[in-house]
Amino acid sequence: MIWTTWRQFRVPALVGVVALALVAAYVVHLGLDVRDAYDGYRAQCAGAPDCPRLRQLAVDYENTSLYLAALLGPVPGLLGMFWGAPLVARELEAGTQRLVWNQSVTRRRWLAVKLAVVGLAAMAVTGVAAALVTWAMRPVDRVADNRFSTVLFGARDVAPVAYAAFAVVLGVLVGLLVRRTVPAMAVTALVFVVVQFLVPNLLRPHLLPPEHVTLAMTASALNQARALGSITGAPVVRGLAVPDAWVTDVSELRTRTGESLDPTVFDRCVTDPPRTGAAEGPFGDTATCLAGQDLHVDVSYQPVGRYWSFQWLESGCYLSLAGLLAAVAFHRIRRRSG
Amino acid sequence: MPETTLALAARGLTKRYGRRTALSDCDLDLPRGRVVGLVGPNGAGKSTLLTLACGLSRPTAGTLRVLGAPPAADAAHLARVGFVAQDTPVYATFSVADHLRMGARLNPAWDQALAQRRIARVGLDPGQRAGRLSGGQRAQLALTVAVAKRPELLILDEPAAALDPLARDGFLRDLTEVVAELGATAILSSHLLGDVARACDHLVVLGASRVQVAGDVADLLARHHRLVTPRGGPDRLPPGVEVVRTRHTEGHTHAVVRVDGPLPPAPWRVEPVGLEELVLSYLTRAAGEGDR
Repeated sequence: MIWTTWRQFRVPALVGVVALALVAAYVVHLGLDVRDAYDGYRAQCAGAPDCPRLRQLAVDYENTSLYLAALLGPVPGLLGMFWGAPLVARELEAGTQRLVWNQSVTRRRWLAVKLAVVGLAAMAVTGVAAALVTWAMRPVDRVADNRFSTVLFGARDVAPVAYAAFAVVLGVLVGLLVRRTVPAMAVTALVFVVVQFLVPNLLRPHLLPPEHVTLAMTASALNQARALGSITGAPVVRGLAVPDAWVTDVSELRTRTGESLDPTVFDRCVTDPPRTGAAEGPFGDTATCLAGQDLHVDVSYQPVGRYWSFQWLESGCYLSLAGLLAAVAFHRIRRRSG
Repeated sequence: MPETTLALAARGLTKRYGRRTALSDCDLDLPRGRVVGLVGPNGAGKSTLLTLACGLSRPTAGTLRVLGAPPAADAAHLARVGFVAQDTPVYATFSVADHLRMGARLNPAWDQALAQRRIARVGLDPGQRAGRLSGGQRAQLALTVAVAKRPELLILDEPAAALDPLARDGFLRDLTEVVAELGATAILSSHLLGDVARACDHLVVLGASRVQVAGDVADLLARHHRLVTPRGGPDRLPPGVEVVRTRHTEGHTHAVVRVDGPLPPAPWRVEPVGLEELVLSYLTRAAGEGDR
């Protein structure tokens, strides 16, 4: 059965390995480049233990890091589409299941071997790609200290491997249910993207109970924010950072008594703040005006020290989901008609 | 008949696809060691019965046992049954040799020598990709894979449909030889009575999703007669004589009857019935019942 699976899988496998080799060459080149830059900045500090010049490394490679995450992010989904979805769908489409299901191998064993071979291959390919990206960006991550952020978290270490396992099982199950290769590929891609969007936004913040802190909204604190107000004009502050933490939730601006700030007060401060002539920072007089209201926000966050716990927890969630989908597939294939 | 001597035993076997009934309340016993022909018009339920028998689909109601166990019960049972589907599916990207290699890897009792002998005899190039084979060559390849696992029961759905008349003749001769060589039972469906008459010694007639008649060919021929009487008769038949179909010509009535036992003496002309007339009589009756 392993030979048969391999014989059917060798062309997609070859394509995958060639693509991986190209990506690997590029990422290794990038990683060496990053290390050269790191050594350059380090040399400018001439061996001092604290090296503020190194901050520049994080700035230089911020976009590269996001770009690499965007390169690695779709890999599990693509493997689910091109390796997972056709695995059973193509057999059902061509009718060849009626050939192979009448050899002396039960359907469950047939599915188990196919899933194992292709699933492990997808996990290996994604694992190598993720390991290379993690290695290449390690000096930058150490300086920027932002690998816990929503985007980078899924492009580092073990989580992508679990995504790949999930994507392949998802593809196989969708193929089994849809029975046609191309629609199965489309549905697999769609479901995978939706899950990849929902998990970091809805599930990941709650994998462990978050820590809470109240931040007084002084003028200088407000000027650290990325934006004030929401699309609907609600009195919120966006892009607040807590040192060594991944901020998962920020409350509305609250007054000393804990009530939400009156939107009309917020509006006035934003659109027509009293001119002081002395305000500094990106929000200027608006920040001074809001600071005068004695406001605070309640922030939920996950400390950076939990990074590895989260990597394992999220991987566990994806692997459990993959296991669940596989169980459904094994149940279905026994009942499936030829 | 004890179950151990049966290749297939069905009781109340029913298969529905949505609202369409493909097979309705069938009772059927097929003995081992025979070449069983399954005949009937398109849509009579032949393919349904065969896919049920090889475990590719499950009955809606009733029970079916193949070689004494539920179809496709486990790997050991799968090894005992060979099946070739109607459109003879093969892997388009595999070569002929790859198919044999797959068969060798997936079947414990695989007979590589038998497989290679058959491939050589039907003139298949082992290096040829299966996607490039003609319909007839593909059928030969699919049959080779099914035969070389040395099954006790070989199930073939319209095996000769893709073959030209010459190839079909060779194929059927070959099939009878292979079945004899394996000491196996074969069940093959066909809508061509000629094929069945040539290759089969046991007959099942399916019509209107039911078993119309089943039995040993020689035995069936011995039990069925054509009675020719003057027009109008026979108005009363002795017990034990069942009319399958009557046909009127000028001045005469021809009745195909089934008699279990000796034919009672009466003032009829008795003529033998051929296999084709026998089958057609039952199918005509089934079609009439279906219309009503």
